[in-house]
Amino acid sequence: MDCKIALVGNPNVGKTTLYNKITHSFEHVGNWHGVTVEAVTKTILFEHNRLEVCDLPGLYSLTVYSPEEGVSRDAVLENSHDVIIDVCEVNNLSRNLYLTLQLLEARAPVIVTLNMMDELRRRGMTVNYRKLERVLGVPVVPMETKYHSEIHMLLSIAVDYASGRRHDPIELTYLDKLPVRELETVIGKNADACGMDARYAAIKVLERDSCIIGKLALTDDQKKYIDSLGNRQAELASARYGFIDEITDGVILSSVAAEHGEMHEHEVHNVPLTESERQECDADADKRRHIRRHGRIKKKISMSRRGFSGLDRVFLNKWAALPLFLVIMLAIFMLTFGDYMPGYWMKTGLEWVFDELLAANIARGLTAVGAWNWVTGLVTDGIIGGVGGVLVFLPQIVLLFLFLALLEDSGYISRVAFMTDGLFRKIGLSGRSVFTMLMGFGCSATAVLTARGLEDEKMRKKTILLTPFMSCSARFPVYSAICTAYFATGKPFIIFGMYVLGAAVAIAMAALFNKFSAMKSGELSFIMEMPPYRIPTAARVFQILWHNAKAFIVRVGTVVFALNVIVWLLSSFGVGVVGGAWVFGYVGDYEGLRSFLQYFAGAISPVFAPLGFGAGEHGWQAVTALISGLVAKEVVLSTMESFGGVAVVFGSNAPAALAFIVFTLLYVPCIATLAAVKKEAGTKWMLGGIALQLGTAYVVSLAFYWIATLFTVNPGAGVSVVIAACVAIVVALIFAHAAHKKRFACIGCGGDCGRCGKRK
Amino acid sequence: MKLTCAKPDTLYSVTSVSGDGPQYRRLLDMGFCPGSEVYVAGTAPFGGTVLVSLRGYSVALRESAADMINVEPCHGL
Repeated sequence: MDCKIALVGNPNVGKTTLYNKITHSFEHVGNWHGVTVEAVTKTILFEHNRLEVCDLPGLYSLTVYSPEEGVSRDAVLENSHDVIIDVCEVNNLSRNLYLTLQLLEARAPVIVTLNMMDELRRRGMTVNYRKLERVLGVPVVPMETKYHSEIHMLLSIAVDYASGRRHDPIELTYLDKLPVRELETVIGKNADACGMDARYAAIKVLERDSCIIGKLALTDDQKKYIDSLGNRQAELASARYGFIDEITDGVILSSVAAEHGEMHEHEVHNVPLTESERQECDADADKRRHIRRHGRIKKKISMSRRGFSGLDRVFLNKWAALPLFLVIMLAIFMLTFGDYMPGYWMKTGLEWVFDELLAANIARGLTAVGAWNWVTGLVTDGIIGGVGGVLVFLPQIVLLFLFLALLEDSGYISRVAFMTDGLFRKIGLSGRSVFTMLMGFGCSATAVLTARGLEDEKMRKKTILLTPFMSCSARFPVYSAICTAYFATGKPFIIFGMYVLGAAVAIAMAALFNKFSAMKSGELSFIMEMPPYRIPTAARVFQILWHNAKAFIVRVGTVVFALNVIVWLLSSFGVGVVGGAWVFGYVGDYEGLRSFLQYFAGAISPVFAPLGFGAGEHGWQAVTALISGLVAKEVVLSTMESFGGVAVVFGSNAPAALAFIVFTLLYVPCIATLAAVKKEAGTKWMLGGIALQLGTAYVVSLAFYWIATLFTVNPGAGVSVVIAACVAIVVALIFAHAAHKKRFACIGCGGDCGRCGKRK
Repeated sequence: MKLTCAKPDTLYSVTSVSGDGPQYRRLLDMGFCPGSEVYVAGTAPFGGTVLVSLRGYSVALRESAADMINVEPCHGL
């Protein structure tokens, strides 16, 4: 039979991990809230059934808050799924069951699964899921995502449930405390008219869900009646949580025997408990409660007992947090890009393979068989030189992705968002934007998609617009190659400096945007859950490595390779007058023949002459590299490599090389990112972004070029210009800060300094 | 007293949540209802954001949200 299954649940309970395991997919997962931003569907075969499994963004309640939660809510309420698997995290049972209750209120076909049992078991606890099953009246399946057997069981139960063996849903007794019944009779007809369940509509009206109230088309009398009931939202939430506290009491146990006892009784007799048995059971529960309350030594309440890890004491310490973050980022960059580090050795090995083994031998072989000059040129320069020149960065890029994924999976990235929120709110962004921006160090195109979890529309669009300024992994090869050729001694500083520069430009732009009222973000709320720290498994690490390595090789093998061949052909063949006759052919065969690209890029290159790299006889090559880099940033380097390497393109002009890497950092991102920006923010924002990026790139690299030139001419003058600029910036900041002091809190102020406007 | 004025490393109990709008709803949905215990862990380095834990999980709140929550010091356990 065909069966449609949806995975619903709170954020960060492992829905996507479960989905990946069920459908053998590679959807993005991470240990933070709001990784999944859109519904993903895949059909699988399971024991002669076709299951259409749908992974939905996480949500806390059926009254929605951000657009991606709306997707999930609609999927639940449309009733288009045969089974809704409500994924609950067993360590955070009460808040997860809150959503379960809402699903039951909506009379959705729910089965509950208690995920992350491994973490509970590790603490020596177990869960009496039978008790939950009894009170909720729906199947409850405890499981660990890593076991296929448990997933198999979950799917069998889901299929069983869909094929009609339904349990009777319970009467939700806690609703009796509220005027739900009365409201049901009043608005029943309206609910019927729009095909809604009357009880659910009544509950939502009590919750003042504007979406549902709008659909019901209430008359004035009905509205008056609803107003007379007053604001019952808090009461309803309390009623639900009260009910949850009641049913979860004694569900999480420290002994296996208790669970076993009850299961035994159920499995063998398969009859519900009689009244006397139930009383016995309740008496047991009282005894257990007594033991829990008095059987342990009372300790002073500490962070770790309240759901905080001891690590948070260090990582979230008011003074140590930011320096630690910087140290961690620095360590990541050092390990990945630093000389004599793991990434460096792997890269050196690959370089040797390409240069010594492949390029030299193939060139010798081609010459031996007497191939044409241009064929030898295409294979050695165009393909091995260009594509190989990028492929050698595979280890370093994969390492960077691994570290970024570890930041996500460990749960540290949410702490970063928390500690930088104070800084980011001053420039109209939220700590949540940090997710997107840090992901931008990996790949801008995928990072842009993660911005969807941001609630405020303007803030979301600003974050999307600024993310491409973060230096993505594809730009790194350009820095590395140029630094090796020109700034060998300062290489780590310049590379790290590029990452800092990208982030600084993004932050400065955000601050600038916030000065214009049209771009200013609204007063934002920030309620963000902190995930627990988790250690990624070895299997997950290998999965990240393999997945990113594969993606990189495929990209280099397809897009970069194809583009490289095209660029090489266009730059190596030309038409022109040589020796008084028109010729068409390989530029290497004729003295003084200009290639097609030399004409085209040569026409544009004067624009970049003030930046240094557009001038001179090789200026067209740098410009060609930038233009082809629009397709994919890896191509910037592969193009220059196929021209004979960066040393040929920039000659002896080191400042021009510096200006070039700054331009590469800041100019228009690749087509994939532009498409993502257009999809998420609209065409207007994408075009505005292109103009902004080109303008910023031009101005900043111009500044870098002239200061660097000054340094080469007269180091003393260069230093004084830099010092003067720094002083000017600091003075401007102090003035800006003084002007704002009255209205905003000062940095690091807890609200009691008496100097600023922050309320205590 | 409001949660914004709460001392770090202390246990409080929620008395009520005031206000309206989506933020108010979200707070209720996350379990800030009267009677629940809230542990204030600390504030962010740049101020303005407070980290609290309740019902076994931790959550960061900006002061606009923390302002809505009324608490009283919780004695006992």
